[in-house]
Amino acid sequence: MNEGPPFLGTWPRVYAAVIVWLALLIALFTLFTRAYNR
Amino acid sequence: MRSWDWAVLALSLAGIVAYGLYKGRGSDTTEKYLLAGKTMPWYAMALSIMATQASAITFISTTGQAYVDGMRFVQFYFGLPVAMVILSATAVPIFHRAKVYTAYEYLEKRFDAKTRALVSLIFLIQRGLGVGVALSAPAIVLTVILGVPSSVTTVIMGTLVIVYTVMGGIKAVTWTDVQQMAIIFMGMIAALITAVALLPANVTLGDAVTLAGAAGKLNAVTFNFDWNDRYNLWSGLFGGAFLALAYFGTDQSQVQRYLTGKSITHSRLSLLFTAAVKVPMQFLILFTGAMVFVFYIYQRPPLLFNHVELERVAAAAPAALGDIEARYSAAFDARRAAASRMIGARHAGDAARAETAAAEYRTAQRALDAARAEGAALAGATGGKDFNDTNHIFLTFVTRYMPAGLVGLVFAAIFAAAMSTASAEINSLATVSVIDLYRRHISPNATDRHYLWASRVFTGVWGLYAMWFAGYGASLGSLIEAVNMVGSLFYGGMLGVFVLAFFFPRVGGTAAFCGVLAGEAAIFYAHLATKISFLWYNVLGCAVVIAVALALSAVRPRAEERQPQ
Repeated sequence: MNEGPPFLGTWPRVYAAVIVWLALLIALFTLFTRAYNR
Repeated sequence: MRSWDWAVLALSLAGIVAYGLYKGRGSDTTEKYLLAGKTMPWYAMALSIMATQASAITFISTTGQAYVDGMRFVQFYFGLPVAMVILSATAVPIFHRAKVYTAYEYLEKRFDAKTRALVSLIFLIQRGLGVGVALSAPAIVLTVILGVPSSVTTVIMGTLVIVYTVMGGIKAVTWTDVQQMAIIFMGMIAALITAVALLPANVTLGDAVTLAGAAGKLNAVTFNFDWNDRYNLWSGLFGGAFLALAYFGTDQSQVQRYLTGKSITHSRLSLLFTAAVKVPMQFLILFTGAMVFVFYIYQRPPLLFNHVELERVAAAAPAALGDIEARYSAAFDARRAAASRMIGARHAGDAARAETAAAEYRTAQRALDAARAEGAALAGATGGKDFNDTNHIFLTFVTRYMPAGLVGLVFAAIFAAAMSTASAEINSLATVSVIDLYRRHISPNATDRHYLWASRVFTGVWGLYAMWFAGYGASLGSLIEAVNMVGSLFYGGMLGVFVLAFFFPRVGGTAAFCGVLAGEAAIFYAHLATKISFLWYNVLGCAVVIAVALALSAVRPRAEERQPQ
């Protein structure tokens, strides 16, 4: 039952990747807002 | 709608039912019927989770919300990936190892029968109210747009859902969700491409983004904190995370999706895929709404997008409406002219002239918004109730400007969104009714075949109830909003009891039971006596449940309570 993930080796690394992806999206959306929204 | 549109809509709906019946074959045991025999792959569960969450009214209103309020609604979803990570690490392995049909079944293993019964009843009340809304809310909008009585659309959607959900159980629900998500994606992409393609030839995508931004519609991230503001970075990250934890971790309509996984890995991947895709998807939907806004810079939008209400106001107060319409038209002409000057200056590289034109454009936008607000107030005053046409904006664009065939595809997407949500909710309501109440308290020693048929019967009964409630709700209008709010009143208590179960092994059943009651009391107090945004109710309720249960445990430590499993 304690299977590893199919990529990145361990589950904590997969979780970290998801959080990094979220942080990247928020950063991109912030840049998008600052670049275009007036 | 033209004949091509009706053909696309009919084929899509027939395809959904046929596919559901085909994929649901062989659901001949209770475990196969309610848990798909634990055979589902991660991608099917992920799309089912997203389809269940994306109701038709979400699909319709999100685009309209971008038109009115900009893109800041996307922040509502920022807490979702955080919640998915926490649930993958905690709830998924716990539920899988406990070998349960429902999340509430686990509460008896961890606490006692009364805590399981209390939380099961809370779920049945909350989700029982919500399932009718899943059908009635889109029916109300479709009635205005298509001119078809809401009872017709409700009966069509409800009957189709009942057929494949009763026959095929959760396998049919999950695989039709996959198909429905594909239709929803296609419909949304078609709408975005159409909105951009219908812009004047000299307006590029970059120009369109500039125009939307100059009107304040691209406010995807706002950092200002306010307890009463639903959509900012902080309420999205923290309030949104608690809401997502409660919804995906304690609501059986979502938990049941990932309980069908063939392994813990597949269930985890389904949640993490949703975590990665949901935020960009909502951004895309809101961006489509922003592009519809830009389209309406060059094509005069109606003062009120609900044409039935507009005609009623024209008959009730023609002089007042005429005055507002005249100012609205003048503001529209001024905005279009300013937008053209702005784009011309942008293409010429004249920053000073572009800035001057942008100021005129924003002034005209404010005049346009003021006229629209006056029109809405007039509609409210003559109709005797609050007026809001946000849900009609996107569909007005679709029916008036999209080409034949694609209109049918978008309507198929709306039907699909309603049906995917309703089918998952009916399926989960039947599961809790059978597993947590019928099998536990009424008929505990029957055969598996008996429970299988009980599951089919409860599925049918909940489906008929949903159709009845939808028909009733359609005549009540604003009650829909209230019912949606009622749903958010219960999640804090439910989340609190699961946090106790997972992380506080010394807390027993009686303390948890009292904690849930106290948490719900605190949420109802906050709702009735304060103006705190509902996103914070989950944080408040969860905190009170934990505090009260811990206090009771300290005063009266568990003696005969069961040990945690």
